[in-house]
Amino acid sequence: MTERSTKHATFAIERTFAAPPSRVFAAYADVKSKARWFGGPEDWGKSNLKLDFKVGGRESESGGPPGGPVHYYNAIYQDIVPDERIVLTYEMHLDKTRISVSLGTTEFKPAGAGTRLVYTEQAVFLDGHDDAGGREQGFGGLFDQLARFLEMQ
Amino acid sequence: MTVRNAKHATFTIERVYPASPARVFAAWSNKEAKTAWAYCHPEWPVSDHVFDFREGGREHLVTGPAGGTRHVFDAVFHDIVPDQRIVYAYDMHLDERRISVSLATIEFFAVAGGTRLVLTEQGAFLDGYDDIAGREEGTRIGLDNLDRQQRQQRAA
Repeated sequence: MTERSTKHATFAIERTFAAPPSRVFAAYADVKSKARWFGGPEDWGKSNLKLDFKVGGRESESGGPPGGPVHYYNAIYQDIVPDERIVLTYEMHLDKTRISVSLGTTEFKPAGAGTRLVYTEQAVFLDGHDDAGGREQGFGGLFDQLARFLEMQ
Repeated sequence: MTVRNAKHATFTIERVYPASPARVFAAWSNKEAKTAWAYCHPEWPVSDHVFDFREGGREHLVTGPAGGTRHVFDAVFHDIVPDQRIVYAYDMHLDERRISVSLATIEFFAVAGGTRLVLTEQGAFLDGYDDIAGREEGTRIGLDNLDRQQRQQRAA
């Protein structure tokens, strides 16, 4: 029988991008753009991102290292303010095991000619799987990929 | 134009109920049982109540003072472990305005004489609707109602 436990955590990441809020927001709202940066490392294979970007809409992606567990991401959009804010909730599964449920708030604020992005995640990690440190590191990698995507555009 | 902001907060409330985890869990997993205690303003009529208690299912209800502001609650159940845990996300609207999005974890632990319930709410309070103390107080009122309900059931 699975030993049940929870760990609640909140972390916030701030990044400044050279692109204006409308462009950074578009990198979230457009499925082709988002698929370019929102995914695992290269050896996880091609993105299979599905995105229905509207309040109540869903998003999903899955992938993982060759021969390793499959990471499933499933989100529901809760609040969208164009160019300003996105609030969503998402679950992560490793294979068939639900490892976390999270509330993610992304805020886009003008900073000179660019954008200051603040991502706040409030999460419950379940049954000893994963933790806030690993999740925060994961998002750090995603924002590095987002910065590269915005530079290439 | 609405000034946009988000205030993030977490609160935790614990209660010990003189009933088994299965009984306390049932007060959350059954529509009629939950309706009897869960709302901080029992005098407000509840309408449009949808209650689909399963992972991926939703709860929806509208309440509020007669003729006044409509308080709209919309939840999705994310994780259900019978008699042990419920995780759900919910948002609150006042009329058309979304005022918060929250993640709630309810845990049920067997203890001597009953059940220790731990409720953790992690919320994003939006656009100046940041009465987090009010949300916590409303939640406490609901859990007190549940305590009365459990004691009455025990006495009956």
